[in-house]
Amino acid sequence: MNKTLKWAFLASSLSLAPLAVSADTADGESLIGKSWEDITAMARGGEVNWFLWGGSDNINQYVSEYIGGILKEDYDIKLNRVGLSDTVEAVNIVLGEKESGVMDKGSVDMIWINGENFRTMKQGGLAYCGYTDTLPNNKLVNWDNPAIANDFGVPVDGCEVPWSKAQFAFAYDTARTETPPRSIGELIDWAKANPGKFTYPAPPDFNGSVFVRHVFYHAAGGVDNLLGDFDQAKFDEVAEKTWAILNDLEPSLWREGKTYPTSIAAMEQLYANSEVDLTFNYEPAGVGLNIENGVFPPTTQGYGLTDGTIGNTNYTIIPFNSPNKAAALVLQNVLLSGEAQLQKALPDVWGTKAAIEVSRTSDDIQAKFAAIKTHPNVAPAAELAKAALPELQASWISAIEKGWIENVGN
Amino acid sequence: MQRNGSLLGSSFRFLTGALLITWLVLPLIPLAIWSFAKGWFYPSLLPKMWSLKAWKYAFSDTSGVLDSLWLTIGISLAATFLSVLVGVPAGRALGMYQFKGKSAVELLILAPMIVPGIAVVLGIHSVFISMGLTNSVPGVILVHLIPTIPYMVLVMAGIFANYDPAFESQARSLGASAPKTFWYVTLPAIMPGIIVGGLFAFLVSWSQYILTLLIGGGRVVTLPLLLFNFATSGRNDITGAIGMIYILPGIIILILTAKHLSGRSGAVGGFGQI
Repeated sequence: MNKTLKWAFLASSLSLAPLAVSADTADGESLIGKSWEDITAMARGGEVNWFLWGGSDNINQYVSEYIGGILKEDYDIKLNRVGLSDTVEAVNIVLGEKESGVMDKGSVDMIWINGENFRTMKQGGLAYCGYTDTLPNNKLVNWDNPAIANDFGVPVDGCEVPWSKAQFAFAYDTARTETPPRSIGELIDWAKANPGKFTYPAPPDFNGSVFVRHVFYHAAGGVDNLLGDFDQAKFDEVAEKTWAILNDLEPSLWREGKTYPTSIAAMEQLYANSEVDLTFNYEPAGVGLNIENGVFPPTTQGYGLTDGTIGNTNYTIIPFNSPNKAAALVLQNVLLSGEAQLQKALPDVWGTKAAIEVSRTSDDIQAKFAAIKTHPNVAPAAELAKAALPELQASWISAIEKGWIENVGN
Repeated sequence: MQRNGSLLGSSFRFLTGALLITWLVLPLIPLAIWSFAKGWFYPSLLPKMWSLKAWKYAFSDTSGVLDSLWLTIGISLAATFLSVLVGVPAGRALGMYQFKGKSAVELLILAPMIVPGIAVVLGIHSVFISMGLTNSVPGVILVHLIPTIPYMVLVMAGIFANYDPAFESQARSLGASAPKTFWYVTLPAIMPGIIVGGLFAFLVSWSQYILTLLIGGGRVVTLPLLLFNFATSGRNDITGAIGMIYILPGIIILILTAKHLSGRSGAVGGFGQI
């Protein structure tokens, strides 16, 4: 009796095991400079495992249905979208594999990434680099733009390919607030005048951290002095002012600043349920999707700051030990195409900003980009672009996060 | 007097039962409402707009929820079955016999319940990689045994502590073979323990997140992986829909085994023995 069951179990578990991949293209060096026809031929019939944050059904549908459909129909590649709750989970898989000596049979073929996670990948030698010129659609990318060529101040050096651009924006409920604060200085006064109606997620949360950097820029009187390598003296001077501002603000925050939301999702829920009156996000298009999905009240309106908000670029990266590099390259090339970037920019699909230079695409695509009607409640990209601030180098960012935890969040 | 007492007793039992059901069911009601809501904001008692969007997504190919449901059921059943295979003999040894180093063995078996999984998961990952067990369903089933076996062993040790092996000797002396003795004597006696321990094992395997993600390498997508994506991103509607699907097998199994879970069952009574 037990034996039969055991055999039944073994048989069933074997049938569930994934099929072996036919074409192994782990050797990335040999792909660089190969003709695109050769690479697509090598990728044909294979699969690609893309690990990306999976918390949005809109993004999941765009990736699985639109991008997955193109890969299947045009290249006979199976796209396996692996949803993550936090990108660092995928980085940890690659890191664990490297430490255990898995050099060419990794489980991750591509990660949606930027900032701290990219720095970990690049410094740890976990990224496949130097291949970007091999992608035909690389010509649509403006690598002369420092905001593309640097990922949170870390030079990209051909180790990843841009996917989207984002710029920090605030949002408020027009039914609750008449005139929201439009600069960091105004925001601080506003929060003091409306006690309990503002808060921010505790760094090192991605969005909480970028809010604190806005205050840091404000305390420094502008970002110009902070660009470049980390400078301890400069940091100490500005940090002292920043902690003073934030500690002074703390009693006026939600729950007298005794506690902070731990994630942007938690803060968005506070905003949706009228506990706080302002919210913000590094992805301004989120306001539109959140209204359509019922996460935010429909009277929510996104807006930028007169003294500017910080922008970033996010990328896709191929781990050094991916066994399906040819398929990953095909996927990256599809993602960079004018058609895919256009689809992603449509407000009912996602509404995020293209990372390619739209002026380099075909006339047809350019016309369609020009015709996009952005969601009326999303902060207009043109308004945001007028006052865009650069990100600091990663060493500054981690010093600010650490300083906040020690001096404000204690 | 006697009648009064039993009346008091039964109404007390009714009250605690009602309280328990409320306590278990009440949190599920907002989950169910959210899954049909399009926006639900304080102070509205009910959503102003209703929508089937979350359920449509949950049943779509893109979400992969249905595939994942069957896979998760298969993995949890397999992990439960293997836990029983290991847990019954181990529980018998721990519950019935005294031997050298018994407390050390007990400690080792209990260790996965005491040490937080997150602390050891990266180490487990590298061990599994070196054994070639990552990125596959068998690897995930195997790694689920780490947290499930302690529950199984603990329950079975309790059962065997109250178990009288003289029944087995009696059956053997009457001419029953060893397998027959096990089938007709031992198994019925320990069945309540197998059911309770198996239920624990199933539910523990059912809710694994980080072990599945790392050892499965993203290829083995169980329901918790899909659920946590949306739970952490604040999408209450989709979390509600996937959550309702997620709790279904647990409820079904709970109903099927409910009679063994009453306080009168030897499996629960014997818990304190180890």
